[in-house]
Amino acid sequence: MTVVQTPGAAPAPAAQAGGQPPQPAQAGPAAPARRRSVPGRIRVISGVTVASLALLFAALAVGSSSAREGLRVIGRDAGPQVVATAGLYLALSDMDAQVANVLVMGNGYPEQRREALARYDARRAEANRSLLEAFELSGDNPVERMTVQSVLDGLGRYERLAGQALLLDERAAHAPGPPPGEVVRTYREATDLMRMVLLPQAYNLTLESGTIVRATYDDKKFTVPLLRAAVLVAGLVALACLIWLQVFLARRFRRVFGPALVVATVTTAVALFSGLAVLDQDERALRTAKAAGFDSVLTLAKTRAISNSMQGDQSRYLLDRERADTYEHTFLDKSLSVLYYNAGNLAKYHAAVAAGSSTALGMLGPELVGRQGKEVFQTYQAFQAADADLRRLAAGGQTGKAVAARLETATTAFAGYDQALVRLSDSHWKVFESAVERGERALDNLWRLLPFAIGAIGLLVIAGVWPRLKEYR
Amino acid sequence: MKRVLAVVLVLAAMAAAGCGVSAQESILDKEKLVIGVRTDLPSVGFRRSDGRFEGFDVDVARSLADRLGKEHTLLGVLAADREKVLRDGRADLVVATFTIDQERKRRVLFAGPYHISYQDILTRPDDTITNVRDLAGRRICEVQGANAAKRVVEERGVAARVVPFPDYKRCLAALKSRQVDAVTTNDVILAGLAGQDGSGLRLAGVQFNEQRTGVGLAKGDVPGCEAVNRAITSMYQDETMEKLLRKWFGAEWLNRGVVAVPQFEGCS
Repeated sequence: MTVVQTPGAAPAPAAQAGGQPPQPAQAGPAAPARRRSVPGRIRVISGVTVASLALLFAALAVGSSSAREGLRVIGRDAGPQVVATAGLYLALSDMDAQVANVLVMGNGYPEQRREALARYDARRAEANRSLLEAFELSGDNPVERMTVQSVLDGLGRYERLAGQALLLDERAAHAPGPPPGEVVRTYREATDLMRMVLLPQAYNLTLESGTIVRATYDDKKFTVPLLRAAVLVAGLVALACLIWLQVFLARRFRRVFGPALVVATVTTAVALFSGLAVLDQDERALRTAKAAGFDSVLTLAKTRAISNSMQGDQSRYLLDRERADTYEHTFLDKSLSVLYYNAGNLAKYHAAVAAGSSTALGMLGPELVGRQGKEVFQTYQAFQAADADLRRLAAGGQTGKAVAARLETATTAFAGYDQALVRLSDSHWKVFESAVERGERALDNLWRLLPFAIGAIGLLVIAGVWPRLKEYR
Repeated sequence: MKRVLAVVLVLAAMAAAGCGVSAQESILDKEKLVIGVRTDLPSVGFRRSDGRFEGFDVDVARSLADRLGKEHTLLGVLAADREKVLRDGRADLVVATFTIDQERKRRVLFAGPYHISYQDILTRPDDTITNVRDLAGRRICEVQGANAAKRVVEERGVAARVVPFPDYKRCLAALKSRQVDAVTTNDVILAGLAGQDGSGLRLAGVQFNEQRTGVGLAKGDVPGCEAVNRAITSMYQDETMEKLLRKWFGAEWLNRGVVAVPQFEGCS
């Protein structure tokens, strides 16, 4: 086949010139003019097709990396940070609760005293580990690092004060109940440092992780569907271009279909739909990880933290008569934030919890669903019932019995409640982890195959177009 | 033609997604914030005769706006208006000795607390009230919209007689004219009132209830609340809060308790 000239010039004047001999493949007087523009048009259509394919894969790459970043921040950064900082809070809070327990025991409970001191040491080691972990996970966030350092500094001071209080208490050898004033004053310094300086910082670190997750999720909730829409549009344009190219070639060259281009079209369609499916799956994975996993894990971590300081408030209520009103008030305040009933004082609150009417208010409210949720509520009822007993005894002047109630029934009830919280939190943590894993696995699988698909489509388009262009050489 | 169509489609998708995202307006989207502060509390939130505001809360409000990178105007509010101005959008933030409680949290989103104060009792100089239980049978003033007096009666179970007044000015006048025997509320409010009054009214110094004073925001503005929390943290970390407390309540005030970042309520 011979090609005389292939300029991109307008076909009409060229046709009028009529200088070319008719080509065998085409009939009619307009044939030479159209023929001249054919390779040019093939190039243009191929160029558009390749560009739209590039756009499709670029959109897929951006969408995938955005989803992957969301999964990383939520699943690998903030999630573990919540666990580390909540562990820190619990360890610190329990250290202070154990000191209060020892002080209120006096000389009455040698066995429990040893146990409490051993637990104090164990919690201290735990706090140190959690601090190290929190420091590592805080990365280059200066405010978080400063907070961790400030907790480390304060912890040293706390230990000195708590040690003093314990020593003075041992020397005083008092009966179970409030220790002498000197001990109470030293302990006050320690507990104020713990409750007003150290614990809030640990708690706020946990909240900060929640903030990071919320901001990342809100961002991804917006960008991932947008990128998915871009993938869909780019994919449809690419498919349309591929079909256009085939139809053009078929018409011009009187062939049915070029097999290479058909395979390229099918491969593009498969890549498009699996890409859309993966992005959709990741969007759902992010939503599940956040709403069904992380949010509950964070709420339950906060609840555990606050509940642990509530049981410390029970001991503090017994050991510091002067501040008993304040400690009772903080116990009520914390109870209300855990599970809200419209109760103006602690006695009414106890009654409302015992009545067991369901409430969706307070941080624990929405979590009390299902079998495990019910279990948490029942154990919380038991803990509040033990609290009511303890306060009845203390108010009636039976300090020794109140201390016994604190160390036995209230401690057991609290442990049951705490374990129920842990079980509930663990099942949400599993949901969280599996959603993050599912999302990451889907992306991994997609990108294991996608580079091959891109290469194959490129080769197939060349294989489909090149022979046609060669006909004009 | 197809390319044009594609561009149109992409733009349409972006516009649709863009509209959906900002359903809840945040204070972070605004250039200028209206902050509600009290007008009736000397040293806390007070409107001077020249119309300017001054006090601890006012300085906190200004510092918060600066840290959020926003301009601001102040709006004077009384205790009873605080929820209303947030609900009908007249104020973006309320920094007005707004105590966080679960009942209010149903209607208001609280950032902070930025300060932990305690409930205390203000009496005439000759009175002997030293404890919350001494209020039994006495007349105590209640300012409408505040919940401090209710807490004495209901929560502490002390049988005091509650007499309502619209603001602290009239409350104080009633205390001096022996219509009531005590005023009870946040210690910072009482310290400011006693300082301004200057007739030697006495603060009992009992510190019996912890009061968590927060920043009120419209319900649902979680990003705004988180930003305010970060601003509060920085106010403690660079010791601004300590300076402000010393400025308004004197160096001695700092001995009453520890000045440290409070445990935040959380924004969700």
